[in-house]
Amino acid sequence: MPLSSLKPKMRPHSSLKQEFLKKWIMGLQRCSFSKKNMSILERKKAIKFSADIAMASARNGTTCWSRSLISNASKEGSDIHVVEQILGSESDRPAVENKVPTRRASVCKKIVKRSCRIRRRRRRRKCVASAPSSIAKHLVRKRREVLKSLIPGGEFMNEICLIEETLDYITSLRVQVDVMRSLASASVRASE
Amino acid sequence: MESNPGTTETRSNLTASDGGQVTAFESLQFTDEIHRLILAPTTINASSFTALVELPPPQAVELLHSPDSTKFIAAKPPNVEDFKGSFRFPSNTSLIEPDARFSVFSGEANNGNENRDSPVSKILNSNLEKAVKSEPAETESAQPLVSDPPVEKRRIKRKGRENKVKGSTKKSKTAVNESSEDAEKLPYVHVRARRGQATDSHSLAERARREKINARMKFLQELVPGCNKISGTALVLDEIINHVQSLQRQVEFLSMRLAAVNPRIDFNLDSVFTSESGSLMDSNFPGLVMPVMWPEVQGDGHRQQYQHQWNSDALQQPVWGREVHNNYITPEKSLLTYDSSANSVTLQANQLKMEL
Repeated sequence: MPLSSLKPKMRPHSSLKQEFLKKWIMGLQRCSFSKKNMSILERKKAIKFSADIAMASARNGTTCWSRSLISNASKEGSDIHVVEQILGSESDRPAVENKVPTRRASVCKKIVKRSCRIRRRRRRRKCVASAPSSIAKHLVRKRREVLKSLIPGGEFMNEICLIEETLDYITSLRVQVDVMRSLASASVRASE
Repeated sequence: MESNPGTTETRSNLTASDGGQVTAFESLQFTDEIHRLILAPTTINASSFTALVELPPPQAVELLHSPDSTKFIAAKPPNVEDFKGSFRFPSNTSLIEPDARFSVFSGEANNGNENRDSPVSKILNSNLEKAVKSEPAETESAQPLVSDPPVEKRRIKRKGRENKVKGSTKKSKTAVNESSEDAEKLPYVHVRARRGQATDSHSLAERARREKINARMKFLQELVPGCNKISGTALVLDEIINHVQSLQRQVEFLSMRLAAVNPRIDFNLDSVFTSESGSLMDSNFPGLVMPVMWPEVQGDGHRQQYQHQWNSDALQQPVWGREVHNNYITPEKSLLTYDSSANSVTLQANQLKMEL
């Protein structure tokens, strides 16, 4: 369960950063190998893309957001080799993980759409609720939906899972930002 | 006196001799310790928090029945907060271990002592200092119950507790006694319904779920800076959303910046390293990247170049001083220690020594 890995929350940041960095650079090299003379936007996209994939693969498929991120990325055929490159060093587990979310994803999407339709109908009837508790619930629900849209693969999670995934996602994003920032500053200093 | 057969496993650290050594003197020590623990402001860190959570509150209730602990109960401040009722995370064995140990201790401490309940109760209560708010209510009602009640050693069931409250929502002596005796040998934890709350399984399950969610929200509040003071789920979620969005925007911005700085995206790292900056972050790069390079033989001519350049850079490392420029470099300096799994082990060993 993801939370059991979160609870100590002492996932050693150093090893995570190292892993992320390694995979990121691997992906970048793969990118540059395939295309030369990219424009700045292409470069930025490639950088961000490989950073995201590296971050997600550093989770080794334990978290839902990482799996859905990787599966989304593998769908577009253009950059799939980058994904394979980054994941290729691991065992075949990522391949399995890639397939499973897509199947589950399509099923879940249907369920979610159905439930959204139902919910919309219900909401129209319930709109006039003025009790403070229902207002509070409404607010919280709104924010939960926003959070779901932010986190990759969030639509398929129940509330408990969502919060756990948010925790993990935030720590991963922080690691990503740290490494990128230091690399950027180092590069800037190098170019001066 | 009961002895739960399950708790006599060899998992315990304490032997029967230890139990025999629990004297009144030690109980006094425990009292002081517990007082200190209770009265000091307690901070939640993840491990202790979950250890707390694992122990079922009703267990403490039974243990508080011993006469020795009356003053302890009185000293308990009313600031037990939101871990209402009992709730638990999907647990794993490492978290249950401490509880099992405690329960074993209680089992063996029971073996000889008149005051057997008190040290056990104190130790267990030190874990439960932040436990259920309803506990004081329960204990106050149970204090007139002087006779030695059996000490409960309930095993903790991992998933899906049974909420077998006797169907009465009021706390009464008899209810406490009955459920305590009933729960003696059962292998799972009983959750007690609080005063005035419905006891059917649906609402209990709902409450358990809500408490799970609240517990995780607390984690999130700790993680996101500035969330601790906010009360109210909607505002906290607002903060969390803002934080996630800002982090995502930072990633975008930084990737743009990186793209702007480098003409090629594989980060001409040798030029980075020959800079004068010399922060340890940079000095770690060659060590980190070198193992990356070795498996990466794609017949690209550039690769060979990089390898040679990084070799020379690795040799240059000891020359660089250690400069800390920015705040965010500092944690990385300490965190990016390189495990020696690459070539040039001596260089990495030096790095490690410098950083540690």
